[in-house]
Amino acid sequence: MIAKKVSVNVVGVLLALLFAFPTYWMVSSALKPTKDMLSTGYDLVPFSVTTTNFANAWAKPGFLSSLGNSLFVSLTAVLAAIVVGLLAAVAMSRMRFRGRKSFVMLMLVAQMAPFEALLIPMFLMMRDLDLLDRLPSLALIYFAVTLPFCAWTLRGFVNGIPLELEEAAMVDGCGRWGAFRRVTLPLLGPGLVATSVFAFVTAWNEFLYALSLMKDQTKETLPVWLSGFQTNFGTDWGGAMAASALFTLPVLVFFLIVQRKMVSGVTAGAVKG
Amino acid sequence: MTAVHTTDAAVPTNSSAPRRAAKGGAPRRRGSAFDRLLPYLLLAPALIAILWLVGWPVLSLLVTSFRKLNLKELTRGEVVWVGLDNYAGILGDPTFWAIAVRTVVFTAVVVGASVLAGLLIALLMRQINPVVRVVLQVAMLLAWAMPLLAATTVYQWIFDQQYGILNKTLVKLGFDGFAGYGWFSTGTSTMAVIGLLIVWQAIPFLAFSLYAGAIGIPRDQYEAAAIDGATAWQTFRSVTWPELRPLLLMLTFLSMLWDFKVFAQIWAFKKGGPDGGSTTLPVYQYLEGISKSHFGVAAAVSVVMMALLALLTFQYLRRLIKQEGAL
Repeated sequence: MIAKKVSVNVVGVLLALLFAFPTYWMVSSALKPTKDMLSTGYDLVPFSVTTTNFANAWAKPGFLSSLGNSLFVSLTAVLAAIVVGLLAAVAMSRMRFRGRKSFVMLMLVAQMAPFEALLIPMFLMMRDLDLLDRLPSLALIYFAVTLPFCAWTLRGFVNGIPLELEEAAMVDGCGRWGAFRRVTLPLLGPGLVATSVFAFVTAWNEFLYALSLMKDQTKETLPVWLSGFQTNFGTDWGGAMAASALFTLPVLVFFLIVQRKMVSGVTAGAVKG
Repeated sequence: MTAVHTTDAAVPTNSSAPRRAAKGGAPRRRGSAFDRLLPYLLLAPALIAILWLVGWPVLSLLVTSFRKLNLKELTRGEVVWVGLDNYAGILGDPTFWAIAVRTVVFTAVVVGASVLAGLLIALLMRQINPVVRVVLQVAMLLAWAMPLLAATTVYQWIFDQQYGILNKTLVKLGFDGFAGYGWFSTGTSTMAVIGLLIVWQAIPFLAFSLYAGAIGIPRDQYEAAAIDGATAWQTFRSVTWPELRPLLLMLTFLSMLWDFKVFAQIWAFKKGGPDGGSTTLPVYQYLEGISKSHFGVAAAVSVVMMALLALLTFQYLRRLIKQEGAL
């Protein structure tokens, strides 16, 4: 019995090492001087530590501009998707009207739509709108990609807030808008944060559209810029690791904050039975 | 902060609260015209966006797949209908079939491996010491949070032919054949590394979800099984499995949907190479459409992709819609 207990825990620790290793390796490689990186010596722990790789990555042509581009398209898209999605979520969850069911279903299907398969028509559409090589096209597409998810997830969160609370506020003299703003919206806070983080990560990671629509190098987003690291960095793996670490940091912080909400957010709408 | 706690982890599927709230609806005072119009006003932006940015492209995709649309036609604005020629072209091409089969096999292997591993880890998490569990959860969170392209870059470094830590470690362990071994020299081993990367990043979400589902199973069912003298396997089959089955099914479908469409990692590793050995349908679509400007052919490829995905997920979608219909 004790032997079994110990062995299960040992397996757990080994798995933890397996999952954490790439992150550890990214950070420790980013901290190594170049001569230690390109040596045949075996060093799981850095012999010496330097921050020059981070300085190098930061100063590489394209890093700052692609960081700015990524932030711009992701934040614009998520902000729009959250606002538009919240409006739709409130209507779907709180109101009765003709066509409600079909709309809910439309959202559901749109959420499952494989956006990657719409690459060609999107490309042609953005070309017709003269938006190729312009960041608003990516913001628009990321908005469309994240909107159904935001509306659907927020609907779940609104559903979770008892209607009685709003009604009580209305009895106390709040208007419909007042009741929503003072009661529902604050309670929705954590759900809004979790949903926007998930949407942000989707946009932050997106690659196919960024690669296809932005041929102009000054319009590259961070993932596309990083994918060309061999042209950017050559064999400067330390610089590439430092850039990867800088790319990971904001996402990691967000994840640590809202991780618990996210599991339930994505699985909301699971089929029962 | 980072741990998945036992209390709040129950997946909302099982709670009846949303359902009740939705059914309750708003207070229905037969109000003004504004009140009756309000839901439509709230929905309008989302509806317009979806029709414009999802509905229209789907139609346009179908239409484009029946056209000959290369760079020449595009710049001149010519409309050349070719009927089913694009489809005949790709379906008659053995390369396309090889790519389609590779995509389906790759998806099946990756989904199978990640769901199975996720389930095993979820069950393991119930058995281990709380401290070890938190450590494991934090470690998985690190893997989950890493942006795709950062993870791809790190894997390329780990698997690097000359200085990669993997080859160095294998040599150190006595496998001298791995000195300078090129992991990306064949399509199969490139796909294996990509698959490993995808599984590694997919497991955390699956394990967290399944763990949340598993701790929702009432304790007394396990106690009853223990009193009946059930073995671990019997307990799993008669208690855990039936409770987790719906969640497992959903996660499998979602994973299929996600893993079938993988593009970023494949492209970043070897751009579908070497010699097209790691090209999947999404990569093929990009190569035909964006690189070669054969938009008509690429649209036909996309339609085939969509059809395959619809085939794979049809059952799931049907059940979802049925359930939503009950709301």
